[in-house]
Amino acid sequence: MLYDIRLQLHYDYDRAAGGSRHHVHVAPQTIPNVQRVIASSVSFGPTPSERSDFLDFFGNAVTSVAFRSAYDELDIRMSARVSVSRPETGLDVSPKLADLGGEIATVRSLAPDAPHHFLAASDFVDLDPAITDYARDSFSAASSVTGIANDLCDRIYADFTYDGEATTVATKAADAFAIRRGVCQDFSHVMIAGLRGLGIPAGYVSGFLRTIPPPGKERLEGADAMHAWVKVWCGQQAGWQEFDPTNGMRASNDHITVGYGRDYSDVAPIVGVLKTTGSQTGEQAVDVVPVG
Amino acid sequence: MTRGNHIKAKRKLASSPLLDSYRPIPGVLDEMVDAQGQPRPIWKRFISVIEELGADELQARFARADQYLRDSGVYYRVYDRDGASEREWPLAHVPLLVDDTEWAAISAGLTERADLFEAICADIYGANRLVADGLLPAGLIASSPEYLRPLVGVTPVGGHFLHFCAFDLGRGPDGGWWVLGDRMQAPSGAGFALENRVATTRALSDIYGEMHVHRLAGFFRRFRDALTSMAGEPAGRPAILTPGPLNETYYEHAYIARYLGVMLLEGEDLTVTNGKLMVRTVSGLKPITVLWRRLDAAFADPLELRPDSRIGTPGLTEAIRAGSVTMVNALGSGILETRAMTAFLPGVAQALTGKPLDLPSVATWWCGRETDRQTVLANFDRMMIGPALSTRLPFEDDNTTVLGSSLDSDARASLIRRIKADGAAFVGQEAVTLATAPVFVGRTLEPRPASLRVYLARTPDGWAVMPGGFARIGFSLDNTAIAMQRGGQAADVWVVSDKPVKQESLLPNERDGFKRNLPGTLPSRAAENLMWLGRYIERSEDTARILRAYHARLAETSDPDMPLLADIRDYLEPYGIDAEAAIPDALIGSLDSAVFSAGQIRDRFSPDGWLALRDLSKTVHRFATQVHPGDDATRAMTVLLRKIAGFSGLLGENMYRFTGWRFLEIGRRLERGIQMARSLAWLTRDDAPDGALDMMLEIGDSVMTHRRQYAYAGRRSLVDLLALDPLNPRSVFFQLDRLKHEISHLPEAGERGHLSPAAKDVLRIHTGLATDEPGDLSPEALNALGDDIAGLYTSLAKAYFA
Repeated sequence: MLYDIRLQLHYDYDRAAGGSRHHVHVAPQTIPNVQRVIASSVSFGPTPSERSDFLDFFGNAVTSVAFRSAYDELDIRMSARVSVSRPETGLDVSPKLADLGGEIATVRSLAPDAPHHFLAASDFVDLDPAITDYARDSFSAASSVTGIANDLCDRIYADFTYDGEATTVATKAADAFAIRRGVCQDFSHVMIAGLRGLGIPAGYVSGFLRTIPPPGKERLEGADAMHAWVKVWCGQQAGWQEFDPTNGMRASNDHITVGYGRDYSDVAPIVGVLKTTGSQTGEQAVDVVPVG
Repeated sequence: MTRGNHIKAKRKLASSPLLDSYRPIPGVLDEMVDAQGQPRPIWKRFISVIEELGADELQARFARADQYLRDSGVYYRVYDRDGASEREWPLAHVPLLVDDTEWAAISAGLTERADLFEAICADIYGANRLVADGLLPAGLIASSPEYLRPLVGVTPVGGHFLHFCAFDLGRGPDGGWWVLGDRMQAPSGAGFALENRVATTRALSDIYGEMHVHRLAGFFRRFRDALTSMAGEPAGRPAILTPGPLNETYYEHAYIARYLGVMLLEGEDLTVTNGKLMVRTVSGLKPITVLWRRLDAAFADPLELRPDSRIGTPGLTEAIRAGSVTMVNALGSGILETRAMTAFLPGVAQALTGKPLDLPSVATWWCGRETDRQTVLANFDRMMIGPALSTRLPFEDDNTTVLGSSLDSDARASLIRRIKADGAAFVGQEAVTLATAPVFVGRTLEPRPASLRVYLARTPDGWAVMPGGFARIGFSLDNTAIAMQRGGQAADVWVVSDKPVKQESLLPNERDGFKRNLPGTLPSRAAENLMWLGRYIERSEDTARILRAYHARLAETSDPDMPLLADIRDYLEPYGIDAEAAIPDALIGSLDSAVFSAGQIRDRFSPDGWLALRDLSKTVHRFATQVHPGDDATRAMTVLLRKIAGFSGLLGENMYRFTGWRFLEIGRRLERGIQMARSLAWLTRDDAPDGALDMMLEIGDSVMTHRRQYAYAGRRSLVDLLALDPLNPRSVFFQLDRLKHEISHLPEAGERGHLSPAAKDVLRIHTGLATDEPGDLSPEALNALGDDIAGLYTSLAKAYFA
């Protein structure tokens, strides 16, 4: 599938902010066997005093900007043309959970896609015993790692209510789990926590989702916002598989990837300290338009 | 010492009370005496001398050492249930003696170890060969919070990750040294080692001179030279980065900065522009090219490391990636302190150097390896068991690290269960019985477990080892009781030679060439604190003067309703000063604020200045609980004014007249000008009560001068003397004269003939007042003058503190 993607982030500040520095993760990149980026650009208003682009540890594109003079609103615009083509989900070749630990240990690597980075607790994902207990029910339901991930994905989809008001951008996995509500970020964190609790490496994927409903089907959640889902290491042979617990499905050619991380904090659209004492409000607008 | 003394000493030794009463613990090695209770060779002379001094003389000398530490303001911060407090430095007066041939072996072993850690760090953040070869487990590294992904693949600008390391050593029962901990992130205590040395030699100067003890200064000089040469002066500068005055070892950061003559900065002093790390100074942004950090890496950059850090510098990681700054030590080096890493050192050493380490770590097993887990469970009782990822020293980690045999059966079963379920989270280490060293308990020597901290610094010629360090001495016989936080003591370490040693000082020899260093630049935050210190001190003085005049009148009349007294209360009330209290909270507050401001810039303060300020603060707090209004308060204010004058005199006579002093002086003159204009406006108004003019003269300390110069006392004569007189150091005009002078000498005050906004403002006010006549200065005009002077702060802050 070929898409034109446009993103606009807009922030208003009560009082002028100045002397700030931000990292922005909004631009998709070419990822073998997932997607190819034909063109992309990121722009800012006001124009930053400094700007540089680099790839972070996980290979995500980061735009670093600094503003020396004060401003009371900030616009970040991204546009890209991306072709997505994921391989078909094949046969389940993942190991049994009991054998996964042994397979992880044979990976003698700290490369960004090595499973080791995605096992420990991280900022948003505590290894919460309640979530682990919840995930363990998927363990009894299926024996392979992919099967467990699939089942957990479906159960979160079934058991949780999509609710944009229940959580904030700073909500941790355990808190979202307690109320069984939240948005894609929360669903993904809960699923990651559950999998890590069982010893299955799981990471956070930030990106976009095509939201035009196919005829006769319900409209997918996640419209008009950036999306998030989960990647799961299903053993040496199966490798990383992606699941979208917000929609109870595998990542498809409707999922366009911006970046990978241990959780939201590694790939938040914008990070950085604002030197302002007032409050701030933010809006985001996303368009994912299939081309041709 | 004469030959006769030697003989006398020897004879005395035969029946030494100190040795006779010394009872080493059976089965535990002692530093001072052997298994037969005989003193070891290097201790013989030491014992005989202190024996000879006698208990009284020795106590007097130890008291002198303690007095030195108190006078220097040496403290460390302790955290307990009641919060944080400053404690006196717990000096154990007897140094730990180590023979210099033994020291040479320790030095060689630690140098080898430092090189090994450098190689491991370079590999973890670089090629990852150790992981690929199975010598380090990927999972252990990836799960450590000290593994900083933004630094992966970044080669430090000078090629080295480690520049300053510390090692904690303990001597085991067989007499050999073991490494208890490797401090690779931001080791503390080197400055305390210096202070221990100074204090100990105060007490034991004669024997120190006689015993051929290796000096410490050379080590620091070489490290400072290394920092300076890496910084590439004059284009770049080195600096020390501290978490700030609330850190437990801030005193030491300030001390080292002052000792080495290096800027002491906090995260907010720094900013990053176009990939370069810059310090905000009163002369604009200046590049920092070497940063000796004393804070943990995660806090160094809120943008890429811990977002909740309030003490970091956003963009620092980018500056490091851009290769514009050398970090001492590299961000991310903290992973080397991970306790479980110790379990892999023997294998890594063998693979990289082809031989085992000369100075091994305490035997360590990581329960993430099945064989290790079995070993730990099989030897549970003899193991110190703790968290695998902890970077604390086992003996400082008393909440989470436990000795297997110390657990009751429930705790034991629970821990074994957890180790079986999640081995990767646990490490077992052989519980070492540390050798004991002598410490005075009352008047007798007793053995206590001791550990030794040794420092290594990278220089262009390789690692330099500090010939000394500091020893931690336990407060009880418990091996875990040596941590400072739990009440252990610190002792100096004397590396003793049988030949005379080189006398070294921090100063280079003038024979090597005369060189005048560049004047340091003043960080904006330091300038701001100096200005506020000046303002608070002056505010305290002005308040005390008014209160003294008030209480003197109260004592005379004992009638608080007298109109003049009520009028003064009305004057002070809007400033939050309650004159009815003998020592108003506002006065205590302004003195505390002065101490706080000075405390932010300890590196710029002489110990004498700090001591005088602390004394002021202690005095006012004591007065607050004892002093009554009236005569009592009058005398209390006189004491405070005398102490303030003492502090001001100390600054005036001792502070080098550079930019820092100017900001302090500006703060004082600003405050005095404002206060004088305002009190003069109030007390010279038409409806001021009887006695107001006399009181004003007294507050303005100008009673005698006024009597000499004017035939009568009236509103105009007062305004003439206290507002307009250029020779009266209390007059408003005098303050403006000083302000005009100091402001015109600030950096960039008169660049290319154009005055800075602050210089223009002060010139305008100065000129206005210079042309005024007493009749022009109505109370309204005086109040407006006070406001104008206060406005100078804003233009100065904008120009220099932003």
